[in-house]
Amino acid sequence: MARIELSHVTKRWGGFYAVDDLDLIIEDNAFVTLLGPSGCGKTTTLRMIAGLETPTTGKITIDGVTVFDSDAGINIPANKRRVGFLFQNYALWPNMTVYQNIAFGLSNIKEAGLSVTDNGEIVRNPSAGGAVRKLTKAEIDKIVARVSAIVKIQPFMDRYPGELSGGQQQRVAIARTLAPGPRVLFMDEPLSNLDAKLRLEMRSELQRLHLSTGSTFVYVTHDQMEAMTLATRICLISNGVLQQYDEPLKVYNQPNNTFVADFVGNPAINFMNARGAQQADGSFSLKLLDDYEAVFTPSERVNTEDWYREADADIAAFEAKVRPAEKTNKDVPFNYPIHTVTDAPAPPAPDREDWVLGVRPEFIHISEDGPVEGEVFSAMPTGMETTVRIKVGNYLLTGVVFGGVLYKIGQKIRLSFSGDGATLFSRVNGRLVATGSLSVKK
Amino acid sequence: MVAAACPQSPWKARFNRFKTWISKPQNAILLILGIILTLTTVFPMVTIVRDTVTVHNGSVDARNAEPGQVYTTYNWTDLFAPQTSTARKLATKNLWTPLLNSVLLSVFACIGAIFYGGIFAYLVTRTNMKCKKYLSSIFIFPYIMPQWTLAVIWRHLFNSNAVTGGSDGLFASLLNIRMPEWWCSGMFPCAVVLALHYAPFAYILIGGIFRNMDANLEEAATILNTPRWKTFLRVTLPLVKPAILSTVLLVFSSAMGSYPIPHYLKLSTLSTKYVELNVQRAGQASILAVIMMLFGFGILLVNQKTTSGRKNFTTVTGKSGQSSVVNLHAGKHILAVVFILTTLFTGILPIIMFAMETFLPNPGDYSFISGGLDHLTTKWWLTSENITENGMYGNKGMLYNSQIWSAFGNTLLVAILCAICAGTIGTLVGYCVSKNRRSKFAAYVNNMAFLPYLMPSLAVGVAFFIFGSRIGIYNTILLLVLTGTIKYIPFASRSALNSMMQLSGEIEEAAIIQDIPWWKRMTRIIIPIQKTSIISGFLLPFMTCLRELTLFMLLCSQTMIITTMLDYFDEMGLYAFSSGINLILIVVILLFNGLVNKLTGASIDSGIGSDSK
Repeated sequence: MARIELSHVTKRWGGFYAVDDLDLIIEDNAFVTLLGPSGCGKTTTLRMIAGLETPTTGKITIDGVTVFDSDAGINIPANKRRVGFLFQNYALWPNMTVYQNIAFGLSNIKEAGLSVTDNGEIVRNPSAGGAVRKLTKAEIDKIVARVSAIVKIQPFMDRYPGELSGGQQQRVAIARTLAPGPRVLFMDEPLSNLDAKLRLEMRSELQRLHLSTGSTFVYVTHDQMEAMTLATRICLISNGVLQQYDEPLKVYNQPNNTFVADFVGNPAINFMNARGAQQADGSFSLKLLDDYEAVFTPSERVNTEDWYREADADIAAFEAKVRPAEKTNKDVPFNYPIHTVTDAPAPPAPDREDWVLGVRPEFIHISEDGPVEGEVFSAMPTGMETTVRIKVGNYLLTGVVFGGVLYKIGQKIRLSFSGDGATLFSRVNGRLVATGSLSVKK
Repeated sequence: MVAAACPQSPWKARFNRFKTWISKPQNAILLILGIILTLTTVFPMVTIVRDTVTVHNGSVDARNAEPGQVYTTYNWTDLFAPQTSTARKLATKNLWTPLLNSVLLSVFACIGAIFYGGIFAYLVTRTNMKCKKYLSSIFIFPYIMPQWTLAVIWRHLFNSNAVTGGSDGLFASLLNIRMPEWWCSGMFPCAVVLALHYAPFAYILIGGIFRNMDANLEEAATILNTPRWKTFLRVTLPLVKPAILSTVLLVFSSAMGSYPIPHYLKLSTLSTKYVELNVQRAGQASILAVIMMLFGFGILLVNQKTTSGRKNFTTVTGKSGQSSVVNLHAGKHILAVVFILTTLFTGILPIIMFAMETFLPNPGDYSFISGGLDHLTTKWWLTSENITENGMYGNKGMLYNSQIWSAFGNTLLVAILCAICAGTIGTLVGYCVSKNRRSKFAAYVNNMAFLPYLMPSLAVGVAFFIFGSRIGIYNTILLLVLTGTIKYIPFASRSALNSMMQLSGEIEEAAIIQDIPWWKRMTRIIIPIQKTSIISGFLLPFMTCLRELTLFMLLCSQTMIITTMLDYFDEMGLYAFSSGINLILIVVILLFNGLVNKLTGASIDSGIGSDSK
C-alpha cells in the first residue's frame, strides 16, 4: 500500500555514523529485510523510517508524502505517519489485557472519513470528508475480532501479557499492530526472542500475513536465514553503509563483495587467495591452495582494466564525500576469513594480480577422480545433509553433501569445484569481479 | 524542491533540529525543569556566598566596617587569617573545632553505619539466622523515626544530675549508675546515635546487592575450590563495594548537616555552630554554610566518578535466584537474640520511653516504679484550661493544645504539598532523563535535581533562609514547601529514574506509533506500570518531611510546624510535651508507612533501596 523512499539519509552521533548516506527505495507491497551484523545501523534505519529516530540529514518519503526532509525542515512525528511497528520485545502493555492492548490504539483514533467494513477492516480516508469522530465500541469490537482471528488469539482476550507464552505474546503484538490498518509494517527482529521451532512457524505465518494484508513490510534481522527465506529483497548493511540491495538469491549467488559473500550463507562460503592474470580468452589462470593450478572462466566476459577503472572511480567518489564530521567508525576493508589448520603468515599486500575466490560449500564436490587431494578434518551429519571440513594442505574447506554420508575423520578424499557458482573478487578492494566456473588442473 | 535548491543557512538547520527536539514532550519538560532547577538550586547558593561578604546590621562585620559600606571581606579574614590572638582563639572555636568535629563525626558515623548495617545485611541475606523477617522490618525503624529520637533516648537513659546536670535519667535513678561525661555527651554518643540512625541505609543498600547477586559468581569460586573467606574477600566484597561507597557518600553528607543530634548531645559541629553564630556573626555563619556546601559538591564529584566506573557491577542480577546460605549452626539463635535485643533498644524502647515520659509528673521522676501507678499523671495530655501552678507554664494539655494541633496541621500540609511537588517533579525528571540517556543536558538536569540530596540539610536550609528573607517569604508555608520540594526531589527522581530505566523504550514507542497522546501514554501506560516506585517517590518526601527539623528550623518561627514546636518545648524544659510530640510523630509515620505498604506494596525501604544508583 505504500512505497518508501530514502535519499541521502545519514544518522550520526558526533563522528559516529550509524547510517551513512543511505539511498533506498522500498517498492509498494515489498517484503524487504534489513540485514547486517549487530550494530551495523539496520535498526536505526528502520526507526528513522518509522519516525522514532530523527535522521541527521536526508529525506524520507512514504507513499509520496515527505515525512522527513532535513533541508525543508519537515519532520512528521511517528504518530502521524500511520505505520505499524512490531518490537523485538513485543512491548505489550503489561497493565492491560490482550483485548485492551489491541483496542487501546483504536479507541484513540479521531478523524474524518472513518468507517469499518462488515468483516472488521478499518477504512481511513480523511480526504473523503465527513464528521471527525471516534470509533464506536461496536466498531472496535469488530476490528479486534478480525485481527485476533488472523493471528488466532481469540481464546486469550481477557488475559494479561504476563500470562501468555512468548509465541502468544508475539501474536498479540502483531494483532495490535495490524488493528489500526497501517500502510507499512515495520518489524525489528520480531522473532529473535522465540525458540527455534516457534521461529520457523512464525516465519511462515509472517509470510502468509504479508500476502493477506498486502502491506509493505520492512523487517530487521541479523539472521541471514530469516532474510533469505522471507524477503522479496534483502538490504545488506555494514558499518552504516549499504552493501547490496537485491533479491535474496542474487545476494547469495552474486554477492557484491567479500563481506556480503561471507555474511550470507550457512555454512559460510569458502575463501581462497589466488594469484594470476587474465588470459586473452577472458579466463583467469590462477594459482591457489599453495600449489594447485586452476582456471576460472567467467560466465560473462569481463575486462579487468575497465573493471578496475570503474571500481576505482566508485571508491574515489565514496571517499570524496563531504562529511560535516570525520567518520570515526572508519570503513575498513572486510577481513575475509581463510580457515587454516595452523596459523598461516599474512599474505603480502595485494596488487592487481591478487584475487580471492569464493566457493559455496554446495559446490565442493567429493569424488574419486577430483583433482584436489585432501583429508576429512571433521564431519557433522544432520541426517538430511552432512557438513564436511576438508583439510587441503594447511587449508580447510567446508563442503555440504546431501544425504547421510558417513565420513571417517582422517579419511583421504579427493574433490573438485563443480558448477558455475564460483565467485572471483579482487583482493585489492574486495569487490566482485565475476562469477563463473573453477576448474583445477591435476 | 525549492527548499532543497537554495543553500541552507546553518541557523535554519539548527532551528529545525531544535524544533524537532522540543516537539517531544520529554524534551520540552526537560528544558523547563532544567531552567527551574537551575534557578532554585543555584540562586540560594549564590545568595549564601553573597551573604558571606555582606555587611549585616548589628553584627560584628558592621562594627568593623565604614558606615554605608555594603560589602566586606571581614568575615573571611577574621576566620581564616585572624590578626590578634583573641581572634585566633575565636577562629579556632568558631571554625576549626566545629569543622574537625563535623568531619570526624561524619567519618565515625559512616564506619559505624556500614559495619552495623553491613553485617546485619550479610546475616539476613546470606545466613540462616533466625527471625529474619521480624528483624529486617524492625531494623529500619531508627531511620523511619525522627533523627533526634535516639539522641533524646540516650539522654533519658544516661544523663544524671551529678555528671550532666538536670534531672536523672533511667540509669541513674533506677540502677544508680552514673555514666561518665564522655559517654553522655560529645563525640561518642553523637557518632553512635548517627551510626544507628543510618545503619538501615547501609542495610538496605548493601542488602539489596547481596540479595540480587548472582549466586553463580560465588558458586564459580566454590567450584574452583576457593576457601569461603577468600571468596568473600575477592568476589563478594568487591561486588558490594559500590553499595558501600554510596552508603558512605549519603551518610557522610547527611551526618555533616545533621543538627539535632549534636545539638541534643552537645557537640560543637558546623551545624550547631551555625545556629549559635547566626545572630551575632551572621556573615561568618554563612561561611560555615558555604563550607558545608563545598563538602556537598565534593561528594557529588566523588559520586559521579564512582558511578561511571560502577557500571561494571550493575548486571549483578543473574538467573539463579537461590544464593548459597551460610549455616551458622548454634550462632543462628545467638545472633538472632543479640539483634532482637539491640533492635529492642533502637526500635521499640523509644516508643515506650516517649509514652512513659508523658505520664511522669516531673521529668526524671520514675517513682511510679516503686510507688505504684498513682505516681503517674495524665495532666500533660488532659489539662484543658490555662493554669500555671501545675508546671505547664500556661500550656493546655496536648489533646487540648490548639498550638500543637495547628502546628501538626501545618506539618501535614507542608508534607503533603512537598510530596506532591517533589514527587511530580522527580517523576518527570526521572522520565525525561531516562528518555534522553545520551544527552549531556539530561545528565545536567539530573545532577541539578540530585545536588540538594548531597547538600547538608542545614546548608540548604541556610540558603533558603537567606533567599527567603530576601524575597520576603520568611515564615510562610510557601518557603517551607519550596525548600522541602527542592531538597526531596532526589528521592523521587532517583526512584523514578531507576524504574524508568528498566522500562524498555519500546513500551512507549508502541503507543507513539499508534498516535496515543503524551498524557494518555503517561496516565494509562507508564504510571500504571511503574506505580510502586512512583508512589515511593511521593511517599519518601512525605515521610521525611513529617519529621524534618534541620531543614526547616531556620525558615519559620518555632510554633509553625510540629518539629520546631517540639524543639521549643524541649528548650522550655517541658519534656513531657516534646516526648508526646515525638510519640505522635513516630506513631503517625509508622502508621502511614504500614498503610501505604499494605495498600500499594511501596515502602520506604524500597525507596531507599533505589538510591543505590
